[in-house]
Amino acid sequence: MTKIKMASVSELYDVTWEEMRDKLRKWREENYRNSEQIVDVGEELINEHASKLGDDIWIIYEQVMIAALDCSRDDLALSCLQELKRQFPDSHRVKRLVGMRLEALERYEDANKLYDSILQDDPTNTAARKRKIAILKAQGKSTEAIRELNEYLEQFVGDLEAWHELSELYINEHDYAKAAFCLEELMMTNPHNHLYCEQYAEVKYTQGGLENLELSRKYFAQALKLNNRNMRALFGLYMSASHIAASPKVSAKVKKDNVKYAAWAATQINRAYQLAGRGTKEAKYSVKAVEEMLESMQIAMS
Amino acid sequence: MGEVELSCVAYVKMYLHASLFPHCSVNGLLLSSSPAGADVCITDCVPLLHSHLPLAPITQLALTQVDVWCAQTDQRIVGYYQANASVLDCSPTPSALKIADRISDQCSQAVLLMMDNTKMSVECRVPPIVMYERRDSRWTLKDKQMIMLRQWEETRSIASQLLDSRDRTLLVDFDTHLDDITKDWTNQKLNAKIAELASTANGRL
Repeated sequence: MTKIKMASVSELYDVTWEEMRDKLRKWREENYRNSEQIVDVGEELINEHASKLGDDIWIIYEQVMIAALDCSRDDLALSCLQELKRQFPDSHRVKRLVGMRLEALERYEDANKLYDSILQDDPTNTAARKRKIAILKAQGKSTEAIRELNEYLEQFVGDLEAWHELSELYINEHDYAKAAFCLEELMMTNPHNHLYCEQYAEVKYTQGGLENLELSRKYFAQALKLNNRNMRALFGLYMSASHIAASPKVSAKVKKDNVKYAAWAATQINRAYQLAGRGTKEAKYSVKAVEEMLESMQIAMS
Repeated sequence: MGEVELSCVAYVKMYLHASLFPHCSVNGLLLSSSPAGADVCITDCVPLLHSHLPLAPITQLALTQVDVWCAQTDQRIVGYYQANASVLDCSPTPSALKIADRISDQCSQAVLLMMDNTKMSVECRVPPIVMYERRDSRWTLKDKQMIMLRQWEETRSIASQLLDSRDRTLLVDFDTHLDDITKDWTNQKLNAKIAELASTANGRL
């Protein structure tokens, strides 16, 4: 049997090694977790162009190593790791990568020991502490993970990633009040991030009750103001306004205002779907589904 | 309760959905295009979310839209599936039970399928699925023998063939659709691809 050589990324997409390097940099900076693509591009870059990359090669090894763990490519992870160990024999950052590989192999106790040794040298090593919390999460110990993360945040109150992780843990535990608190922290330090607003609104909507619904409508609207292409926020605005308008507890004025908000959102949703569905047969069903859904919800509202 | 049969299309999409988002919990709805009878025949599925499963707004939105689409296309929602983010955990979460409850209010035979992440390898000899049914208003584990996949070998091979090819990215769940509404959550393109692979497989019989 002859083996057909797989087409390389550079041939397949007609890109230069510089473009591949820049792509990896962009993914790094934006914290993408597109591990398969990182492995595809990164492996080729390392194998074919390592000598041209200069000092960029080290951070690429690190990036590709973590992505390789995600794709259970232990061979690739190990070869990146060996290069890094040779170059930086005493580095905590490389030691943490060794720990991550142990985690991928489900050797949690060994990984924990390694992180503890990093923390003994350097008690302020946040990365090692976060890995220890990730292990608790992987083991399904969410209560412990939440406790540890809270202790961590007492010391490192400015760590946005940690606040966000904590909000997700609370959402999974259905502890919406505490999840909302974390998202409030995030919105305070980052008032222009539409995703935090939208998530806060979703949590408030889930909590339910008129007061929470009104807050959710307000923050869906705010998310839309920050990014008018956020479809979740647009649908959220429509749904929260419809619910408020349908509530028997609200005054005629509030009802009228919310009917207006819902109608505006419905128009925007319809317009977005008509634009998106132009010329494609597949979109036909979703456009019709949305139209009919909006109609049926309007009936419930009136 | 009678037998539960899972079609190739439905299984392949569930499998791809769980495989494309290995670090997330994923969920979706199971559909049937055959009339209610003693047995449940799951003919299709709609992959829904891969983030924030317990939050209400997007779940409500998706359920409403799938409901409307089903009415247009003569299908019914007959169940719910979920794969948890944690490899070792295949028990239904409170939000899974809640959605499954809502479905069973409309469809008395509704089933709840949990994917068993530890058995998701390509060589698995039985479908990596644990099935729950509602008995006396509680969801109880059902005998595994009761879920049927006609031609499991072919289905398994189609699933792994698609996962290895670029076509796996054809799978669109409702979350992806909301990020880019030109993408079709009814997955017509992927369905056609699966049907094509299935007919080649059957041609060999």
